[in-house]
Amino acid sequence: MTEPDQSSSGARFSKTDVVAIPEHAASVRQEFSTWLTGHIAVDRVKASDIVLAVNEALANAVEAAYADAPAPGVMHVRADFDRGSGRLTVTVTDEGTWRPATAQRSNSARGRGIPLMQALTDHASIEPTDAGTEVRLQWDVIDAVAAGGG
Amino acid sequence: MTGQPVQGSGNPAAASCAVEQSQIGAVSVVAVSGTVDMLTAPQLESALSPAAVGTAQAVVVDLSGVDFLASAGMGVLVAAHADLAPAVRLVIVADSPTTSRPLKLVGIADLIELFATRDEALAAVTA
Repeated sequence: MTEPDQSSSGARFSKTDVVAIPEHAASVRQEFSTWLTGHIAVDRVKASDIVLAVNEALANAVEAAYADAPAPGVMHVRADFDRGSGRLTVTVTDEGTWRPATAQRSNSARGRGIPLMQALTDHASIEPTDAGTEVRLQWDVIDAVAAGGG
Repeated sequence: MTGQPVQGSGNPAAASCAVEQSQIGAVSVVAVSGTVDMLTAPQLESALSPAAVGTAQAVVVDLSGVDFLASAGMGVLVAAHADLAPAVRLVIVADSPTTSRPLKLVGIADLIELFATRDEALAAVTA
């Protein structure tokens, strides 16, 4: 469920227990995009970068959830924007099994999600956790009006 | 809140993608618009299959109408480019933050020729 949690110091987007299928990756991406442009003054290029990076993290969770399980698992998405620092952090977690890159098919048509996330963010990491995998995307200063106050 | 769970098929929020194919002389023009993600990439894939390309000598994939291009779509472009070469030359038309920018960021613009407009692409492949 979406938590429309908001305060003067920041904004948050959160969806938990989303069944990790492509249709949901698309709908969460669209909801996130609406939240992003509604809460943060980002220019068109930065908004495009952020939504694409988040999409790739969601796609990663969908593929991880499909890989070994008989039925898709769930994924959780959380975005926190700190107005003071202008920092946006997005995490996408799944409960799938982490697969090392070498274990994946080396098809040239795949495997661009991680390089894209790295190119589109200031910091990107993919960490195995006890529960599954956490993709963490971070942009250091994205709010064009943070210093304005006008 | 209506309490509708985020699951089930027939998601009304699913973004649409349109792929239109046309022939200009020996060049096949594949005009794509809307969203190219893991859901819609198969539409692009089938439009770029050897069967769909037929006897065309070149394929111009025009992404001018695309407002979202995910890695799933980029993978289709790279695979089609590799499958069709060297007999068929595949080039891309893209010039926006949602298309040419990520294609350049991950190096696909180094693999596949990229043009800002369809006219430039057509001029290049028919030269």
